[in-house]
Amino acid sequence: MWWVTDDAAESVTDDAVDADSAGDAVDAGSETRPTVVVPVEPSPTLRATVAHVVEAATDGEFSALHFVEIASWRDGDPGSDDRTAEAQRVLERVVAWAEADLDDADGDAGDDVAVVSALIGADEYLFGPDDYVDVLAEYAEEHDADTVLLDPEYTPVGNTTLLQPLEFALSNTSLTVRTAPVGRPTRPERLRSEATGVRFAAMFGLSLAFYFVLGDPLYWFDWVTGVATAAIVSITLSRISLDADPAVPRTPMRLVRGAIYVPVLLYEILVANLVVARVILDPRLPIEPSMNRMRVIVGSGLPLMTLANSITLTPGTLTVRARDSDLYVHSLLPWAREGLFDGGLERWTRFVYYGRSAARLPTPRERGDHAVLQGPDATEELPIAAADGGETDVEDAEATDTAGGAEEEVTDA
Amino acid sequence: MDAAGTLGTLRVGLIVVFTLLGLFFSFVSMTGVLRLPDVYSRAHTASQADTLGAGFGLAAVALAVGWEGAGFKTVLLLFFIFVTNPTAAHAIARAAFEEGIVPWTEGDDRR
Repeated sequence: MWWVTDDAAESVTDDAVDADSAGDAVDAGSETRPTVVVPVEPSPTLRATVAHVVEAATDGEFSALHFVEIASWRDGDPGSDDRTAEAQRVLERVVAWAEADLDDADGDAGDDVAVVSALIGADEYLFGPDDYVDVLAEYAEEHDADTVLLDPEYTPVGNTTLLQPLEFALSNTSLTVRTAPVGRPTRPERLRSEATGVRFAAMFGLSLAFYFVLGDPLYWFDWVTGVATAAIVSITLSRISLDADPAVPRTPMRLVRGAIYVPVLLYEILVANLVVARVILDPRLPIEPSMNRMRVIVGSGLPLMTLANSITLTPGTLTVRARDSDLYVHSLLPWAREGLFDGGLERWTRFVYYGRSAARLPTPRERGDHAVLQGPDATEELPIAAADGGETDVEDAEATDTAGGAEEEVTDA
Repeated sequence: MDAAGTLGTLRVGLIVVFTLLGLFFSFVSMTGVLRLPDVYSRAHTASQADTLGAGFGLAAVALAVGWEGAGFKTVLLLFFIFVTNPTAAHAIARAAFEEGIVPWTEGDDRR
């Protein structure tokens, strides 16, 4: 689940435990100093956050500082080793900063403060803030920490700004949450200039190429309007449309594998269309619609969107809700549902984004990551039938009441 | 002359076949929207018109206007339909789900 960055840190963990037990021993008179967990990622305010938490510790607030990096990838993905190494470098830097700050602290205030770092959550994909909080809470419990200190610029979920914020999800746990009172630089500084450059160039090139497909690349007027249009598009959308830099071996490979996927998808669409057309046109063939849930193993963002849209494009299955890694899929026929649980599209999506070896995985049925929420084969309750079903009744009742009231008024009038 | 004539006939034949297929799937889609019971199942079949109905229709157009210029744009058009259509269907279904509309199942008397 988690590991400590190095042996030195390991021994510090032991120190921390010792310090804790020592604290317990003198608990009778003095206050116990809690352990704090600080989730970190490279952000402009990371340095200031570390300084703040160390200052709080030397003031006697905390006895152990746990810096954790929550992995947004999953071990075994192509490139996960690089990202693990990168995360380790960040953690090493944070620990170095913290120890330097502790050394600088007045007197021996910082001597009994333990500094620990860990990389957690790399054994599964994490989607929304809820997943991050689960991992964080589990780590905190393991290490008897009761406080979480957040870097104000900490955004592990990437650019999925529509999700409920991490702070809110954290407020549902027993952990005390604090945000480091450090300066928040203006927004543009958040993006590393190098990264923006690559994305901007990619977006600009793509927009301009598309413009020339529609226009005439040999006509100077189209060049002027094309460059202006591409500039507007890339200024406004390069940060939204691309959440990772295009990289040389990866992006072209994905495009090539995507090109292989398109005919496969077209064939699937054709077959499914014929099956569904038959059921629609023949009144003797009944439909058996049901809502289903399937937990899919693809990364969040583009891969999830590709999978959800492929499912919707195939007649007979319709993605209704994507909740973290759970897809709620409505199926028209048992045939379509079985096909869904066989996970063909999931494997193809993994093939497109992660390559051939990543596509070999058990089907959702074999993994047990599937559930039928309705009908005779239902294995799980429909989330809205339980929660909102009651509400609907209430609304219906209210509606009838108002209607009745209105009628009465009319009669009275 | 003969070869060109055969090719021309083949092309016209394919245009007719694709147009008819496009019409057929659009018809199926229309029937589905009328026959199926609730918003979710109708969303399935409404998106069918876009995928194969429009797909075969545009394939016929591409064949008719030839590869240069307009034909290529037709392929681009098809690409955008394939990207936007499932997104729209998902948006409708999701809105219905969040409104708390329970999908129709067998034995349900709303119809």
